[in-house]
Amino acid sequence: MKNSRLVTTTRWLALPCLVAAGLLAWYVTREVTSPFEQETPSPDQALIARGEYVARLSDCVACHSLPGKAPFAGGLEMATPLGAIHATNITPDRKNGIGSYSLADFDRAVRHGVAPGGRRLYPAMPYPSYAKLSDDDMRALYAFFMKGVQPSDQANIPSDIPWPLNLRWPIALWNGLFAADKPYAEKPTEDPLWNRGAYIVQGPGHCGSCHTPRGLAFNEKALDDSGEAFLAGALLDGWYAPSLRQDHNTGLGRWSEPEIVQFLKTGRNKHAVVYGSMTEAFNNSTQFMSDDDLGAIARYLKSLPGDPQRDGAPWQYQAMSAATRLDAPGAHSYVTRCASCHGLDGQGQAEWIPPLAGATSMLAKENASAINITLNGSQRVVAAGVPDAYRMPALREQMSDQEIAEVLSFVRTTWGNTGGAVDAKAVAKLREHTDPASSSPIVLHMR
Amino acid sequence: MHCPAYNDETPTDDQRVNAMELRINQKTYQVDADADTPLLWVIRDDLGMTGTKYGCGLAQCGACSVLVDGNVVRACVTPVAGVVGREVTTIEAIEADPVGKRVVAAWVEHQVAQCGYCQSGQVMAATALLKHTPAPSDEQISAAMVNLCRCGTYNAIHAAVHELAAQPAAKESV
Amino acid sequence: MNSPIDIPSELRDLKLDQPVNLSRRRFLAGSAIGALVIGFGLPIGSARVQAATAVTAERGTQVPAFLEIRPDGTVRLLCPFMEGGQGTFTAMAQIVGEELDVEPAHFLIDAAPPGEAYVVMENGLRITGGSMSVRMSYPTMRRLGALARAMLLQAGADTLKVPVGELSTEPGKVVHAASGRSVAYGDLAERAMDLPVPDPASVKLRDPSQFRWIGKPVRRLDAYDKSTGKAQYSIDLKVDDMLHAAVQHAPRLGMTVGGLRNEAQVKAMKGVHSVHVLPGAVAVVAERWWHAKRAVEAVQVDWQEPGADSKVRTMPADFSSDAYRDHLAAQTGPARDDENEGDVAAALKGAKTQVEATYHNQYLNHGQLEPPSALARFNSDGSLEVWLPNQAPDMFRDDIAKRTGLAKEQIILHSPLLGGFFGRHFLYDSANPYPQAIALAKAVGRPVKLIWTREEEFVRDVLRPVAVVKFRAGLDEKGLPVAIEAVSATEGPTEAIAGKQGEKIDPTAVEGLAGKSYAIANKRIAQIYVKGPAMLGYWRSVGNSLNDFFYESFLDELADKGGHDPFELRLHLLRDNPRLTTLLQAVGELSGGWKRGPFTAEDGTKRARGVAMASPFGSEAAVIAEVSIENGQVKVHDIWQAIDPGSIVNPAIVEHQVNGAVALGLSQTLVEEAVWVNGMPRARNYDLYPILPPSRMARVHVRIVESGAKMGGIGEPPLPAVAPAVANAVARLTGQRARSLPLSRHTFA
Repeated sequence: MKNSRLVTTTRWLALPCLVAAGLLAWYVTREVTSPFEQETPSPDQALIARGEYVARLSDCVACHSLPGKAPFAGGLEMATPLGAIHATNITPDRKNGIGSYSLADFDRAVRHGVAPGGRRLYPAMPYPSYAKLSDDDMRALYAFFMKGVQPSDQANIPSDIPWPLNLRWPIALWNGLFAADKPYAEKPTEDPLWNRGAYIVQGPGHCGSCHTPRGLAFNEKALDDSGEAFLAGALLDGWYAPSLRQDHNTGLGRWSEPEIVQFLKTGRNKHAVVYGSMTEAFNNSTQFMSDDDLGAIARYLKSLPGDPQRDGAPWQYQAMSAATRLDAPGAHSYVTRCASCHGLDGQGQAEWIPPLAGATSMLAKENASAINITLNGSQRVVAAGVPDAYRMPALREQMSDQEIAEVLSFVRTTWGNTGGAVDAKAVAKLREHTDPASSSPIVLHMR
Repeated sequence: MHCPAYNDETPTDDQRVNAMELRINQKTYQVDADADTPLLWVIRDDLGMTGTKYGCGLAQCGACSVLVDGNVVRACVTPVAGVVGREVTTIEAIEADPVGKRVVAAWVEHQVAQCGYCQSGQVMAATALLKHTPAPSDEQISAAMVNLCRCGTYNAIHAAVHELAAQPAAKESV
Repeated sequence: MNSPIDIPSELRDLKLDQPVNLSRRRFLAGSAIGALVIGFGLPIGSARVQAATAVTAERGTQVPAFLEIRPDGTVRLLCPFMEGGQGTFTAMAQIVGEELDVEPAHFLIDAAPPGEAYVVMENGLRITGGSMSVRMSYPTMRRLGALARAMLLQAGADTLKVPVGELSTEPGKVVHAASGRSVAYGDLAERAMDLPVPDPASVKLRDPSQFRWIGKPVRRLDAYDKSTGKAQYSIDLKVDDMLHAAVQHAPRLGMTVGGLRNEAQVKAMKGVHSVHVLPGAVAVVAERWWHAKRAVEAVQVDWQEPGADSKVRTMPADFSSDAYRDHLAAQTGPARDDENEGDVAAALKGAKTQVEATYHNQYLNHGQLEPPSALARFNSDGSLEVWLPNQAPDMFRDDIAKRTGLAKEQIILHSPLLGGFFGRHFLYDSANPYPQAIALAKAVGRPVKLIWTREEEFVRDVLRPVAVVKFRAGLDEKGLPVAIEAVSATEGPTEAIAGKQGEKIDPTAVEGLAGKSYAIANKRIAQIYVKGPAMLGYWRSVGNSLNDFFYESFLDELADKGGHDPFELRLHLLRDNPRLTTLLQAVGELSGGWKRGPFTAEDGTKRARGVAMASPFGSEAAVIAEVSIENGQVKVHDIWQAIDPGSIVNPAIVEHQVNGAVALGLSQTLVEEAVWVNGMPRARNYDLYPILPPSRMARVHVRIVESGAKMGGIGEPPLPAVAPAVANAVARLTGQRARSLPLSRHTFA
């Protein structure tokens, strides 16, 4: 069974392949320099512990571990149009892991996407963001992976992308164009809290990997707040990761800083409950961040201006009971299948069951998240080790494409929602490419 | 009322213990429960009213249907904190409601129940429908009577509700 | 304690050396529930019941073990059968009441405890299943009522001081017509108690022409309680000092607990009493079930692959239900014949036309709405008391004795109402919660009620088997079948429970392919036994639930190939069978005359009808279905069913059972399927395992035909012909022959 969290649409392979011809060989094969070339690390427990925290910030475990398998032994499959690739073993095993890596080798891989020997990593590894990690955090991360992780000799699974599409060197060109090449530099005009937030969001947190729209080469259109596209919302893997900017409707405009902190800490607040890919980011990463760091993230995100033109007129709740609209297409389904949790008034049961009135997925033009969660239900949100009390059922076996399209069209045009109608074909397409979420909690371990 | 003993560790955010006052079947109950405990388990385990059934815990079957302020809700997906200050009616008090009493009578008349496990919920759903809409249309009936029955009593339910719909209350006194 | 069955502890403590004929006075003296139990009868669960009845000469003659007549005339009957919706309690009140001369409405009925006294079926078993309860105990339970009436008459003679021959009864009383005097049963119970049970041969049963309640649509005794939430099921029970438990099962059967990663964290969760490692599961015991459930979900378990010594059938990590079906289809033998008449090979060779087709079905869950639970309590006298849903109390008690090392007499088994069963509550080694509940009660030293969540139920429920059946048939020059062969690659539920093939073919594997009544001269029905990794169980209508779909669909294919109308072909093949000819004609009439279609209905939809028959569980059934296609899926508008169980006890309950069986039949036809991927069920709840919703129910029209043949079953027989009737209608309407279920896997134009 394919896991929907693994299904990465990898258009980023397209451009490298197309522009391969005629480029400078020295550029693509040159050795990337690392500031750690001469350094011999001497990790202590404090550094290892800090490294573990950096690994949490960076959510390494989400891709490099599989449930029930040794931590960081790799194996996560990412389906691409060209073939499947698999996350690698990054335990300190010398044969199949990264046990033979020097700190400099590690640095080149994590911050620059270059494995020893010059082999380029596919940018499914978010090194364009990790490039912003500080030198100190790199030392800590290395210490953790060398001393805090148990070696596993689990063999790596070769990609099944055929030659010549499997040539890695064109990626170097892509990197030159689209990846950051320097660690995060503090903005002197902003306070330390803001800067800390910017560092986490842009760097280890790699929020832009999902939330920043991508260009033709599947590059993130902006890697920091200097670009208006940064964290402006993007479609990836069958989910629409909404804007994290101050957009009133489709972003965080209606969320206070404490509400952002609560969301990242507990997985829920009165506006929303994590779902889709964010469930993994929450389960494995954000809930483990310190309150100070979460506060910093909230501060930084609240500083990113919205775009009223893109976002549209501010949403306002319009009261209506679905039971009074049974004649409307989809209303019948809403009443029978949705209302017992989300309410006839669409207001949910904060903070346990999210409202649909005013939900970003019901206001955004992109409808993938709304369709996906309806077809496949929610993964279990595991907060502080305890799985959620309530989860979204998967309705794919009970509702046809047309019925799902109708009920979502109803929700996305009611209570002031402006997302608009959903087409049955869009439901059919996602149905084909996704699988239902597991009803069992999935907990990935780091040790 | 059953008052369980707790470990005395400090509750985390997710495990708040709330002393709360619930109105159920016209009586007031003091309950100590986590805010996110489903109403179903408070009713069944803490208050000992077992007429409301657990079937799926996922709002799929409707065996746990109760009334909150006269609207039918599925108690398995209703965090108890959300019903504080509202009037909950369970199957135990259904005959105290004139509409509920008629529904029960129709259920007996049509010999609806087989194993009976879903029927508390079915009676609650029918009562809620008829309280709001004394003479519902077919469309309204099909939108309201969606609870699952594994014994397949759907036709008997349909007959009972249709009979009730065709003879809206009026003469009946409380 | 508010169990529907109360046993005062004094009664349980009766000594074995007391007189067998327990006196009413002793009963009263020991009673903690006072006036309620005035009357005669033995306490449920008492070892005395078994002792009193161990030497019984004839089944169902131990009147005091069954009946208690209360001063108000209420009769409490301890019923050998479990009530799970099929109406057996009401039927037993009708049967016993008819002969006892007590209105069924005056009965109070509970399930009897285990014990030889309650083995009343003619096959010497005590189970509630196979649609056997009424048909296998009917004469015995009538005689039981008659024996009790004779005792009351004798007591009346003693009381009124008149010869017993001058007395008669009217409902609830003994009447002396000559003097105009009468005595209520409630006033005679005390005296009747001290009388010996008369010779079973001495009582005369009522002439059926005089029946007041048997054969009449008597109202169900449980209708009101079940409409008001008063009916109590296992899951509802509570005893003093009880703790609650929830489990997390291994994702695949046979896996074991390697270790718990976060036991300390879970133990510290609010309300948690303790955390326990069980075979293939982890449990949390808590003061409240909700806390137990949340805590056990939080347990992070390192699951180990099954060892070679696993005591249960192990589920491999690569098992998938679709791949397993291909595996079955690839089987070539060896096969064992169940039926082999004529010379199939020669007839096929000589046939004008040969027809071949391969069919298969799907795994199913039981999906009974009450999730499994069990309540266990160790009493201070060393006895173990267990409340659990079951269809076979003696088997469960014996199993508990085996597991605990206790003597059978130390085990008190209660059998509350079943919140649906459909075959779910037989003794399945890996699929019942009571071994866990008993282990937990023992570990914590307090009573424990364990409830499986729906998710934990769906990962352990035993499945309705799958089969791949290869048919071959030959038609003569008139297009009539002269030979039919069906070879089924499958494992029957009985084989799965035994873990091996028996000496004889498992009838539950082939019933519905075997046992058909059509006059086809050459036939061979055979099974290729294929042991699979999934644990299987009995599901309503068992083998017939799949096999009649295969056979009756293929028969329609033969009709089409031979150029015959399928209704007419069946009539032809049954021409020497008056009972089935009558039945088939009855369903035709019921539907307003056989009309295959396609035709346009009043609402403008294009529709067609299909017909099918089945001979399950001693009864005969014929079904006509009317269908249309809506958005590529099948809509079933009407089901007409004529059913002949020989004779019946309650036509109203029969009609409701037909409705229920049709619903389950439609459910497996239209929507239901347990899909397994990577050794695990894809659905762990009703979201991904849809069962028939009200919107997909058909109108059901029932005609009961009482041919007078030996009494057959009624719970299961109306189900098997539903799927093929629908599939045959769909094939007629669309030209597409669906050779597999459910139909939701097909798209129809």
